[in-house]
Amino acid sequence: MKVLSIALNTFRENLRDKLLYNLLIFALLMIGSSLLLMRLTLGEFHRLLLDIGLGSVNIFSVLIAIFVGIGLVSKEIDKKTIYTIVSKPVARFEFLLGKFFGLTITLLVNMIIMTAGLLAVLVAQSVPIEAVLFKAIGLILLECMVVTAVALLCSTFTSATLSAIFTLAIYVIGHLTADLKTFGQKMDGLGRSVLEGMYYLLPNLERFNLKGNVTHHIDVPLNELVLIVAYGMAYAAFLLLLASVIFQRRDFR
Amino acid sequence: MWAVGILTAVVLLAPIVFLQQKLDRRIDGQLVKIDALAQLPRGEYLKPALLGYHHLGADLLWLQLLQVVGKRKNSGDEYEWMYHALDVITTLDPQYAYSYYVGGVVLTSYGNRVDLSNSLLEKGHRENPSEWNLPFLLGYNHYFYLGNAPKGAEYIGVAARTLGAPDFLPGLATRMYSEAGNPDVALEFLEALWRENPDMAMRERLAVRAKEVIIERDIRLLESAVQQYKSTRGRFPTKLQDLLTSGAVAQIPLEPFGGSYELDTKTGNVSSSTHPKRLKVFRLDKEGRA
Repeated sequence: MKVLSIALNTFRENLRDKLLYNLLIFALLMIGSSLLLMRLTLGEFHRLLLDIGLGSVNIFSVLIAIFVGIGLVSKEIDKKTIYTIVSKPVARFEFLLGKFFGLTITLLVNMIIMTAGLLAVLVAQSVPIEAVLFKAIGLILLECMVVTAVALLCSTFTSATLSAIFTLAIYVIGHLTADLKTFGQKMDGLGRSVLEGMYYLLPNLERFNLKGNVTHHIDVPLNELVLIVAYGMAYAAFLLLLASVIFQRRDFR
Repeated sequence: MWAVGILTAVVLLAPIVFLQQKLDRRIDGQLVKIDALAQLPRGEYLKPALLGYHHLGADLLWLQLLQVVGKRKNSGDEYEWMYHALDVITTLDPQYAYSYYVGGVVLTSYGNRVDLSNSLLEKGHRENPSEWNLPFLLGYNHYFYLGNAPKGAEYIGVAARTLGAPDFLPGLATRMYSEAGNPDVALEFLEALWRENPDMAMRERLAVRAKEVIIERDIRLLESAVQQYKSTRGRFPTKLQDLLTSGAVAQIPLEPFGGSYELDTKTGNVSSSTHPKRLKVFRLDKEGRA
């Protein structure tokens, strides 16, 4: 209950963030611009609409997750509003969870608006809409939840700027971990164990990327989808637990 | 104060536009747009750098490429760069079947670079075995441009067996096999297709084509016997029965449509009474005549 009220409060607070609206407007503009670019291409113009649309939904959601996410805790500390919360009978992990779900609700609402924009473009151009499109968007939300958890974890121990840099770095690395594994397999001994250890420790964000499936109309079987969702949830839970442990020991003086 | 500020800004805008135009003329004049294609990094390196947005990357490169393909005339180097760009695009998105197809057509028909076209199409065929038009184009390149009928027939045969391939492909493949001197292969191919195809109308057409290929096979057999006859006796036989009595053939085959085989005693050519035209692919010669 406490978590929910913190979450709703965080959501209301996020709605006052100008950055959010800037990103949302840019996303909608990008999705709309695909209509112009479509005229320049040859052949499969459906794919251009889907690629630009999904790409925009993805990148702008991730940017919201990172740049709103890093401020979740550090803003409270900077404005000293954290004192009023920790002095109440609210456990610190509840505070973190509330912040996390608050931003998740924000992301969800934003993604619904962006998806509505994308669907409007698709319907206007009579592009067939398949179930895999919604699966892909669902997994983008999951990716953003993991990224939010990373941002939240970083912001429990460092400043907003450094958190942004760390989270961006994790986002980049998260899309390259498959290569990390490949390098590891080519090595032997210690190098191999270190790289494989890093591979399992870092999030593999490519697992949440179904954009290509939408473009090529390849559906994802349900059991695979369940595994991906379970992986995302487990990873976010792991990060939130880590964040709670650090946040519990943090001194706000 | 306010008005002065706005006025200064507007006045400043004029030199900005002027300078920008000057720069555009200087720099863009030196560098033709197509050069940018040659400088693209290899797809293997570009793909990880795009962080999961490689399909979008392929789209944007495709858009760029289309702007230069539209030029009226491209030089020889430019086709190599186009090939490079297509290679990068299809490495970013190996399932982008349309770009292989267009690339294959442009490189062959405009650039006369069958080598590049084939290597692009082979990559496409490897990555997209369910697309019939890629092996079809490969077959076309091998047959018409490289003059390699057996290889052409092989690819058209692959295309014909792909799901969703148009009905005319089996016919084309068998013509190519026959012309390549492989009527037996053509027959085997037809039989396999016949077995795979449950559609009765299609089966009927395949049966007719099989008979035509049998005619081609018989004519080849008879003509080589005629040549053998001529080399031993110094003249052409007067009728086909002579081949039988001389032992050049064990029997005169029956014409599958119920007609008969006829011998031209002047040229030594054999023809069928029901199908006087030989089975081959009709191609346009250099001047475009059929």
